[in-house]
Amino acid sequence: MGILNISMTGLAAFQRALDVTSHNIANANTEGYSRQITTLASRIGTTAGEGTFGAGVKVSQIKRSYDGLVVRQLQGATTGVGRLEILDEMTNRVNSLLADPDTGLNSSLQTFFGSVQDLTNDPSSVPTRQAMIGQADGLAGRFRAVDDQLSSLNSEVNERVRQAVAEINGLAQSISDVNNKIATAGPDQNPNDLLDLRDRLVLDLSRLVAVQTVAQDDGTLNVFIGSGQGLIIGTEPQQLLVIGNEFDSTEARIAFASDTLLTPLENTLSGGTLGGLMEFRDRVLSPARESLGQTAIAFAQAFNTQHRSGMDLRGVLGGDFFSIKPPTILASSANTGLGTATATVTDLGALTGQDYVLTFDGTNYNVIDPIDNTSVPFTGTGTPADPFVFGGMSVEVGGTPAAGDRIMIRSSRGTAATMQNLMTDPQSVAIAAATRSRMDLNNLGNATLSPAVTVDATDPDLLTSATIEFLDATTYSINGAGSFAYTSGDPIVINGSRITITGAPDAGDRFVIEANLGSTGDNANGLLLGDVQSVDILDGGIVSINENYGRLVSEIGSTTNQVIAGLDASRAVQRNAEAEVQSVSGVNLDEEAARLVQLQQAYQASAQVISIAATLFDTVLGMTRR
Amino acid sequence: MSERISTLNSLNSSISLMQRLQSSIDLTGRQIASGRRILTPADDPISSARAIELRESLSRTEQFGRNASVATSRLSQEETALSATNDILQRIRVLALQANNATLGNEARQQIGVEVRAQLNQLINLANQKDGNGAYMFAGTRENVQPVVQTGGSFTYNGDDGRRLIQIGEGRTVADGDPGSEIFFRIRSGNGTFDASAASANTGTGVVGGGSVVDPSQYDRDDYTVTFTAADTYEVRDSSAALVSTGSFAPGDTIAFRGIQFTLTGEPDIGDSFDVAPSSFRDVFSMVSNLADAIETEVFDGASQAMLNNGINRELQGLDQAIGSVLSARTQVGTRLSIIEDQENTNSANAITFQETLARIEDLDYAEALSRLSQQTTILEAAQKSFVRTQGLSLFNFI
Repeated sequence: MGILNISMTGLAAFQRALDVTSHNIANANTEGYSRQITTLASRIGTTAGEGTFGAGVKVSQIKRSYDGLVVRQLQGATTGVGRLEILDEMTNRVNSLLADPDTGLNSSLQTFFGSVQDLTNDPSSVPTRQAMIGQADGLAGRFRAVDDQLSSLNSEVNERVRQAVAEINGLAQSISDVNNKIATAGPDQNPNDLLDLRDRLVLDLSRLVAVQTVAQDDGTLNVFIGSGQGLIIGTEPQQLLVIGNEFDSTEARIAFASDTLLTPLENTLSGGTLGGLMEFRDRVLSPARESLGQTAIAFAQAFNTQHRSGMDLRGVLGGDFFSIKPPTILASSANTGLGTATATVTDLGALTGQDYVLTFDGTNYNVIDPIDNTSVPFTGTGTPADPFVFGGMSVEVGGTPAAGDRIMIRSSRGTAATMQNLMTDPQSVAIAAATRSRMDLNNLGNATLSPAVTVDATDPDLLTSATIEFLDATTYSINGAGSFAYTSGDPIVINGSRITITGAPDAGDRFVIEANLGSTGDNANGLLLGDVQSVDILDGGIVSINENYGRLVSEIGSTTNQVIAGLDASRAVQRNAEAEVQSVSGVNLDEEAARLVQLQQAYQASAQVISIAATLFDTVLGMTRR
Repeated sequence: MSERISTLNSLNSSISLMQRLQSSIDLTGRQIASGRRILTPADDPISSARAIELRESLSRTEQFGRNASVATSRLSQEETALSATNDILQRIRVLALQANNATLGNEARQQIGVEVRAQLNQLINLANQKDGNGAYMFAGTRENVQPVVQTGGSFTYNGDDGRRLIQIGEGRTVADGDPGSEIFFRIRSGNGTFDASAASANTGTGVVGGGSVVDPSQYDRDDYTVTFTAADTYEVRDSSAALVSTGSFAPGDTIAFRGIQFTLTGEPDIGDSFDVAPSSFRDVFSMVSNLADAIETEVFDGASQAMLNNGINRELQGLDQAIGSVLSARTQVGTRLSIIEDQENTNSANAITFQETLARIEDLDYAEALSRLSQQTTILEAAQKSFVRTQGLSLFNFI
């Protein structure tokens, strides 16, 4: 080989090494760039009689400074941050909507019930009645507005899901393209910059959805999402498709385009922006709308029921004050039969707010909870006379269902948006009690009489007068008929009204229950209307309307709090993982500068050796010239 | 910490550190400017939810305050009206006592009768009084209907027995008035238990005095008639004409039977009778009207004088019951006013507690915020200085 050739290999190797170093320096600010390292090896020399003479140096490989483990940690951390960032943004918007005094329901509820109390203080005042109707309009409008806002968040989730799926599909295509190039280059060629590019694409992908990666022998990388469904196998990408829920096309679900059954993946997709969006919708937004709907139904029904128990200024029993739509019926798009159902809320205490699914097995319906597909106990046969009863609802079925057909009963979600104030006439607000009690002025005994309380506003004889006349101190007749035993202080219910007589009446004493006509100053029903907000009617009679809304606000508040705390923590984890990756793969300019100096010196030394070789050669030439 | 520091990472982490510091300084600055710790619900979701509850309690408490002033104003108006009613009844009582005096001539009594009738009109006006909103105060809840209507010498009540309740605290209500039926119409005649009266056909000078219940357990609320079988002998028969007791009589004696007793002065004639009936409900207006009739009775002999005295005595008893009824209504009004005052004190104490809690949750602790701001700016300055220092360090400077 000789001294010249040996130093030539040195020059060549150091030049390459200098190239790599300058490539490192040039990419010092490139995101996702992995520092490259030149590995030098001695060339195998030739063996002569005396031994083996070395043949110089060669570049054995140029490899990335890379640790797959920390890169996967960074991918995982990025997935966590992606999920929590979207959850934080969206949950915060729900929280601000509900907890802000200007947009939430609370101030409207308080103002409305304040106006009921004002009217209770001054029942015959028409301006006060008008003001109360105005507040009722405002409250119904606020119910609608809050649900509309939440529903527009649902549309936004759908739009963002579409965007995320489009990005995932694009990234899947790009990653498989890079896979293809790497495979073509061959596994031994260390296509470092392609590998970096692929890592960066996978990192972008893991911001959108949780991924698992498996490196293959040919240098390609397989990428899996969900519970091990292959998104990229070698150079073949799968496309994701946004589909509607079988019951509700406005609820975006995701499936593989290659799956002919279009099985929704949403229960297995987790993490990242996409998982965060799904989680937000299914765990925060939909439950919030269900709870809001539950509050709206309870408020409208309870207020209407109480209002129907009162009497208005015209001497007519109160009608419905608010209207609200019954539960929503949604037939599955996969149904082959034509089954129908109608549902009404009949028991506020049992109303859960959630969705239910009726499934038809060919002869019978069953009820399941769509969240975990468990069956829900119910009674009845589904006929008008004997409806299915579950979740506070009565459901009647009809039509001609086919086996396997499914019908969703959405008990509360979205109903808040249908609330309307029906009252327009100030005279028709029923603030007085339906009936009143009266002691005859000619009574001799010293018995006292309670006000009449309406216990059954649907009694057809509610407004018919009834006279209790005492036959003697211990028995009385009603409207001149019968003989009933009298016990002081026991309630007496006649025609849907309840009174209590206390003390010792004389024979001939008379007590009258009659329609509360002309009592324009009476506020007995107004007081009860004012109590509607705080009477425990929900959740088996332990939660009031106020409490139910308060519970929603504080649940969303604490979810938001958890998300914020989680986001801070996962950002810290991401920063640490980033630092780990960078400490392995990042470029340190001081290090590269030192490397430059080192290589420059080696290069100069090799050049010096060539110069010495030349001198040697000159010496030999000089000898012959002499 | 790892040994190798990537240049890019060191730059990026310095930048992100400074950004985080700047955003926290910005938050502190906005907190100081607004004086509020929570600027949006997102700043502290849990406290925001709590603040909603507190604001709700506060607004309810304020509503109770408004309700209480409505009730106070109505009850004060009622108290004024009742006080005026009491004055009138007292005046009528004085006039009745004057008229009862045997020395007074017919003419003078006519004058008194005129004044009693004038007072009666005042009384009716009071009962038909309207409040500031034009609603009848004593019509129960039929506040648009004139409660007391006079037809000749009889009076009817057109209101109802309703009492409007006003909510003045959580689960606490108070009536803002009383129906006229209770105050003016449901007044026990006689002494409140029984009512002794002279028969109008009596010819003697027997005058019924005050009565009382000696033994309530013996009194059976039947109608009794005391009839004089001789000037000094009487018999008592019940409603079925069964003999209850007999006795001898001298003027001023007490006649007692079945647990009750009353005095009788003057000299009844044979055949004179006195009825003893259980008290019934009467209205104050017909009492006063009857009183005026009685006062205007012409006196020309002992019998007519006795008739005058009996008439006046009987209505005087009723008048005392009416005064008692007004007094008990005033007591109730006074009790309600003091209940309201109590509740208002409780309400305002609650409101202060709610406001303080709300302030603790939402308002900024300036001392803490200002020291936090100075700490944050110090850290930022230090970060900036160290950034400039470290980023200036490079081996390339020396090659």
